[in-house]
Amino acid sequence: MADLDEKKRTLTVKLVYYGPAMSGKTTNLMRLHDILAADLKGEIMTLETQNDRTLFFDLLPVGFYMPSGWLVKFKLYTVPGQVVHDATRKAVLSRADGVVFVADSQRSQGVNNSESFQNLEDNAHRVGLDFDVLPLVVQFNKRDLPNILFEAEVQDRWSAAPWPIVMASALLGTGVQETFVQLLAAVYPVLDKNFSLHETHGTDLPTFVSAVVGGSFGNSG
Amino acid sequence: MEIQARGYEHALSLRELLSGITPDKLSAALVVLLNGSFRLLSANGEWAMGAVLPFAAGGQRAACNYDLETVAYLEAPSATESQLRAAAGLLELFMQSAARYFMASEMHIEVVKSDYEELQRKHTLLLESESRYKVLVENLEEHVKEQVKTIASAQQQLYQAEKMAAVGQLAAGMAHEINNPIGFIRSNLNTALSYVQKFPPIAELIKAQGSDQITAAWQAADLDFVLQDFVPMLQESISGADRVARIVADLKGFSNVDQAEEQIVNLNDNIRAACNVAANQINSRAELKLTLDELPPLRCNPGHLNQVFLNLLLNAVQSMQIRGEIHIHSSVEDQHICIRISDTGSGIPATVLPRIFEPFFTTHDVGAGTGLGLTVSRNIIVAHGGRIAVASELGVGTTFTIYLPLV
Repeated sequence: MADLDEKKRTLTVKLVYYGPAMSGKTTNLMRLHDILAADLKGEIMTLETQNDRTLFFDLLPVGFYMPSGWLVKFKLYTVPGQVVHDATRKAVLSRADGVVFVADSQRSQGVNNSESFQNLEDNAHRVGLDFDVLPLVVQFNKRDLPNILFEAEVQDRWSAAPWPIVMASALLGTGVQETFVQLLAAVYPVLDKNFSLHETHGTDLPTFVSAVVGGSFGNSG
Repeated sequence: MEIQARGYEHALSLRELLSGITPDKLSAALVVLLNGSFRLLSANGEWAMGAVLPFAAGGQRAACNYDLETVAYLEAPSATESQLRAAAGLLELFMQSAARYFMASEMHIEVVKSDYEELQRKHTLLLESESRYKVLVENLEEHVKEQVKTIASAQQQLYQAEKMAAVGQLAAGMAHEINNPIGFIRSNLNTALSYVQKFPPIAELIKAQGSDQITAAWQAADLDFVLQDFVPMLQESISGADRVARIVADLKGFSNVDQAEEQIVNLNDNIRAACNVAANQINSRAELKLTLDELPPLRCNPGHLNQVFLNLLLNAVQSMQIRGEIHIHSSVEDQHICIRISDTGSGIPATVLPRIFEPFFTTHDVGAGTGLGLTVSRNIIVAHGGRIAVASELGVGTTFTIYLPLV
């Protein structure tokens, strides 16, 4: 649940990149750091072990000022994918406003993907998130690699799922922004309902998205 | 371990963001980098580091940002703008590093705590399951003892039942074999009696009209006495044959070959039957005295109860060192049929008394008793919903009392 600070006139939104180990969650964040043209963009904080595996989480803060003068702060987290770090994953997922599930497109990773997705669902229940209404985007990453699932196969398998599916290669930078925009679009209605972004703060969905991502609205990095 | 975690997401103050660095050394370095004294103020203007007194108005300042927001201002009148900007950037790096440390340590505490709680939870579950197993193990011993008891008891019953079945078959066979000859013996004896009764009138005729020679021969053969003795002799034989027939019938009924199921009976009849079966043993050692009150009919397994009565009677007989008395008294007391079998035998020692109902416990010589009689007797009484009590005094005698509920 997003955090509203009346005194500092700040709305903090927590977005979490979830997924199996080595699926490219941190790479997604690094690309976003490069791509996003928000008013405010912090440095990426990474907490990794010696071999570049995420130990606790990565954090990228971005933000923009709404016409009302209020600051919207996004905190983009990644979870550690390795199975042993489940307690950390739970702590990071706690109070999330939206989740990107980063799946590994390689054919060999099917089991890891489904186990991690199941883990996401389980942990969501454990930290009190309603998985049925939680804004979620599924990203199939590593489209640049050989021996990957065909897009048609992915779409076919996930056809019954209610979540948007995005093909991406975080390494090359494709699909990363699209994934994030899809997530913003999924998160916006919930925020608008709870904090009346449109009416009180003069921020509709296109403004909201372009303020973070850049483009037609707000730019200076 | 009670560490209050504030959570890795909580906002960090300027003091916390600078906490990892020795202030004196940082100040000294900044003074050199900024060409002179400096001040570091928090976002709302509170002093944090450097010169205590404010500089003259119009001095330049640079913002230090953390987490998208300005958390401090750096003032240094003697520094160039680029020096000021560079020093502010340096402070931002320090703060970023401190924040990284804080968040990592908070997360570490959270993770350790949750792992610890998880371990505690598992530990509790393990303790629970351990105690369940303990209870199970304890009960297991009880269960095994119980089972062994059941099996032992079932074995006795089986042993006794087989013995009784064998006796019963023998008795039935004997009864069949004896009934026929005893039938014609009795019939012939009756006929013989009627024949003999034809002789006396003829004897009178012979004695009155017969020659001296005949009379002398009559007297020599003492036929007067023969005729006189013949009738009672036959009558005795008839009653003897009747007794044989009755014993055979009792034995057959007693052995219960053809009445395995429950019946409604008058227990006094069963007591009499048991006495008849044991009559020979009883008569040689003791006087039997029956005081049988009027009893209501009882639904029971008469064959089994017969066995109990016989067991107790034979025990009573065996306890007689010298000729004594056995007294059976049946009555109704307090909704129970009460059968008391007392003897004036040697009595049971107090040390032995508590054990007499135990299986295979016997004071008889090897081969003389199985040690099952009283156990089986008690089981039978218990199976009828009743109980059996014993009172005994050495040298005075023993009394077994059977209570059978009427309902």
